[in-house]
Amino acid sequence: MTAFWVRYARNRGAVAGIVILVLVLVLAIAAPALYPRSPWAMVQRPFLPPFTNGGFPLGTDTMGRDIASAVAHGAGVSLLVGFVSTLAALLIGIPIGAVAGYFGGRVDDLLMRFTEFFQSVPNFALAVVLVAIFRPSLVSIVAAIAIVSWPPVARLLRGEVMALRGREFVQAAVLSGQRTGPIILRQILPNTLSPVIVLGTMMVAAAILLESALSFMGLGDPNIMSWGYVIGAGRTVIRQAWWVSLFPGVAILLTVLALNLVGEGLNDALNPRLSRKTR
Amino acid sequence: MSNILRSLLTISVLAGPAVAQAQPIPGGRANLIVQPVPHSLMLGLVTNAPTQLVAGQIYEGLLRYDDKLKPLPSLAKSWEISPDGLRYTFHLNQGVTWHDGKPFTAADVLFSVNDFLMKTQPRHRNTMTRVADVGAPDDHTVVFTLKEPFEPFIRSFAFWVMPMVPKHIYEGTDYASNPANDRPIGTGPFKFESWRKGSAIHLVKNETYYLAGKPYLQDIYYHVIPDGASRAVAYETGKVDVLPGGSVENFDVPRLTAQNNTCVSQKGQEFDSPLSFLWLNNRKPPMNDVRFRQAVMYAMDRQFALDVLWNGIGKVATGPIAGTTPFYKAVQPQYPHDPKKAKALLAEMHYDGKPLRLLPLPYGETWQRWAEAVKQNLGDVGIPVEIQATDVAGWNQRVSQWDYDMAFTFLFQNGDPALGVERNYISSQISKGNPWNNVEGYTNPTVDALFAKAALATPAEKRQDLYDEVQKAVQADVPVAWLLDLRFPVIYRCNFQNLITTANGLNDSLRDTWIKR
Amino acid sequence: MPRFIVSRLGKMALILVGIIILNFVLIHAAPGDPASVMAGEAGDADAAFLQQLRERFGLDKPLPIQLLTYLSNVLRLDFGYSYRQGMPVIDLITDRLPATLLLSGSAFLISLVLGVAAGALAASRQGKVSDSVISTLALLFYATPLFWLALMAVLLFSVQLGWFPGFGYESVGSGYGGLERAADILHHLVLPALTLGLFFMAVYARMTRASVLEVSRLDFVRTARAKGLRPRVVLVRHILRNAILPVVTLAGLQAGQLVGGAVLIETVFAWPGIGRLMFEALEQRDYNLLLGIFVVSAAMVLAFNLITDILYRLVDPRIGAAA
Repeated sequence: MTAFWVRYARNRGAVAGIVILVLVLVLAIAAPALYPRSPWAMVQRPFLPPFTNGGFPLGTDTMGRDIASAVAHGAGVSLLVGFVSTLAALLIGIPIGAVAGYFGGRVDDLLMRFTEFFQSVPNFALAVVLVAIFRPSLVSIVAAIAIVSWPPVARLLRGEVMALRGREFVQAAVLSGQRTGPIILRQILPNTLSPVIVLGTMMVAAAILLESALSFMGLGDPNIMSWGYVIGAGRTVIRQAWWVSLFPGVAILLTVLALNLVGEGLNDALNPRLSRKTR
Repeated sequence: MSNILRSLLTISVLAGPAVAQAQPIPGGRANLIVQPVPHSLMLGLVTNAPTQLVAGQIYEGLLRYDDKLKPLPSLAKSWEISPDGLRYTFHLNQGVTWHDGKPFTAADVLFSVNDFLMKTQPRHRNTMTRVADVGAPDDHTVVFTLKEPFEPFIRSFAFWVMPMVPKHIYEGTDYASNPANDRPIGTGPFKFESWRKGSAIHLVKNETYYLAGKPYLQDIYYHVIPDGASRAVAYETGKVDVLPGGSVENFDVPRLTAQNNTCVSQKGQEFDSPLSFLWLNNRKPPMNDVRFRQAVMYAMDRQFALDVLWNGIGKVATGPIAGTTPFYKAVQPQYPHDPKKAKALLAEMHYDGKPLRLLPLPYGETWQRWAEAVKQNLGDVGIPVEIQATDVAGWNQRVSQWDYDMAFTFLFQNGDPALGVERNYISSQISKGNPWNNVEGYTNPTVDALFAKAALATPAEKRQDLYDEVQKAVQADVPVAWLLDLRFPVIYRCNFQNLITTANGLNDSLRDTWIKR
Repeated sequence: MPRFIVSRLGKMALILVGIIILNFVLIHAAPGDPASVMAGEAGDADAAFLQQLRERFGLDKPLPIQLLTYLSNVLRLDFGYSYRQGMPVIDLITDRLPATLLLSGSAFLISLVLGVAAGALAASRQGKVSDSVISTLALLFYATPLFWLALMAVLLFSVQLGWFPGFGYESVGSGYGGLERAADILHHLVLPALTLGLFFMAVYARMTRASVLEVSRLDFVRTARAKGLRPRVVLVRHILRNAILPVVTLAGLQAGQLVGGAVLIETVFAWPGIGRLMFEALEQRDYNLLLGIFVVSAAMVLAFNLITDILYRLVDPRIGAAA
């Protein structure tokens, strides 16, 4: 464990990443205490510029809602959507990739065509259609993000499993008569954990970006204050009120950046062999 | 708020009466926007807003209406109503021709009324249930005989309610697939010239129009620009001279009205008089409790919505009849913004605080923001609300199947409470599958009886008394939560004179329009 | 090679049919239909009117029949009629397609050329200031929401500085023709193409840097260096030619993302492409139009993949048919 941290800490960017991420997490947890009123509450006059009123450091939006409160409350939404949808994508992608990689042949062919199929549809367009058709809500957004983002997981797993399949310890398990399910679950999958964690971290970042883009297009859950929503609602008044769009955008940027940095750090720490090679 | 106040000021200054003093000058071209694209210009088949805007220059009705909805001559130069209110006699203009040169006569009126529109227009079928007979004693006289007096009947002859279509072209054909639909032939002041799909519709002056000297404009272009921002830019850069109501988003209005030589008008919507309100599903608790519905009214800050979301254009609604519809009166009870009263009413009824579903109208940003504001208003008095996003198709489906708690809408009043208001409140109009009838499921026998009597009473003064009663009764019951009398401002260059001369605005006013140079 | 292309085309056709079926099912799973939307615009209708509309559009037929009709029509390249716009779908799409192709094509070129250049530069200066500047910028752009970057670009370059138009495809009503018009469109293209390109540029720069570093450790590069070739020659002739392969693969795979990103960029910049058209069609339940856009954009992505595959084979003939 300490060796892991030493390797991780060698990457200064990764350390910065984890610091930012923890700050965002703290903000998300503290939001209800910091801003007990709903972020939708119309609390001041509309279009209050930032840094002019101590109570509303980031100003207000078109309807007089506190942008600082929106940024704080939005942190939780972004993290939640990011992590849950990534988890869901892993749950789809890992079995498909593992089965394709382990059995190969026709099964592999079929599953990979299926995967390719999902990769051929423009990602964002499919997500837009899915959310619009199943009505924007937290659940439909998470599901749509998971559905469009699992293919890379399947491809990664297929490659890893294919490589591991030929290794002695797997062959030994096969020869000793173990059943296929347990072999995949106990012998193979644990060995794919490191790359999956690294990919997963990057996927959380991508999911946060995707959620914000959907909200920006007006396809967010209308009851949940998310960063993308604030930017989208501020888009039409950008000439008068730049601050409405600016601050939540910085929040997304920092969070996504932090996740990517952490992903790189994990890659260095978990796959020392490959470190400094890719990404 | 200063921004908004400033734009309010500009608007009220600019919206002053645009009465033309000088002599009209013929010639010139008007560039308008049509949005969305009409699917047809054949007004006898399609009557939605974009078709009306263009086809209102091509087709005409027997009458036009001024901003108080008083009838004005159109194809009929004069008319009489018998003292018993049963016989309506119209004297048609002489020398009127269709755009293909054939004469327009009473035979065309009979064909349109008895034949064509009966097959194509649900609204017309409904009107004709009140008519016993339509006859033509000679080529230039038409007589409608009613089964019983119906005062609003005189407001049923607008160009889009009862458009005149040419008998010699349509008789004996399949109306929907007649090739003439692509090159519409009417009697109107402008003729169809061309339609470049995805770009513009071009109308030209009808040189043989029956009113000497009219129209003044040489031609009209209706530009098709699918993107809202680009429509605003088209006005700013001078490609377009007139932005009809609703063709740009509300948030662009203050910027556009601040331009040079730019006027704004809220007129020309008196016939439609769009009224926005929240459907409250009266079938379900807690909306079945009148105290809850009143609490909703008190909870909402409608002035805020008017100022912030609608740039102060329009008016806070007082009840079921819009301020510009005949027989409107601001009677009691009224519901000013009063959260304390709302809370008291909710406490009195022991409201359980279960979350309610709110459907915004999926017509763009303004309506989305409005739903957020209402949610906040209701939340402040202790009514938790969950906004459910839908698109147009989903909204129609859910409202017409009664699958909602509260839902935004706005409806046209069609020139008379009997035509555009009672449908939302009388119990005979409760029927699934239609998002424009008594969707809230309100039943009050007194109100039913009053509406029925008011529709058939004559003369107008008697109807006024009855509608006063209706408004009092309905406003006490709050079957729906009235929001605003909406106005979609027309933005145009100030040198356009007489742009809006009727209750249907740009749709049938352009024959009077001329350009000051 | 021809056999490879034929088999790929077969697969592409299968995928396209799958996409049509998937989207057909999805779209019809949504509540409401175009007839109700159009009736809603009229503000008044009865059941008979709705029935008339449904019959006119063939929406009263059972779903499998509608699907079969649609599939057989698409085979004849007939995408049907847009209910809402009253025009053939193919006309609407071909009307908007050039704008999208121009936008995504130029963004793709910008991102690939600048991305590879920046990545190669960073790798050749590994550990130096320019490397860290490029790497940091790449990381930043990689983490920036595309639509937000677009908004900020409008704010800075259009609203504040007034260098470029903030939205639109060309100056409306300018009456420009020929070269003048081309220059005008180019002027409008700068901001959207750059913002769309930046994200992908960041991706390719990171990829190229990693790939170059990896290749430069390989034996043949050492040999080249040992022969005394100048570093620049080694970089361009030996390293980059090999290092660029995975970047090309990635670029092909990301064609779908590029088209998706175009939807966002078109929204911000009011760019009249098929991305905006898709969003409008979705809101209005214009089934035929929506399906048509999906088929066309998926075909674009597939064609893109095929082209990169062919390029890949041309560059590197060692790749066998197994890939």
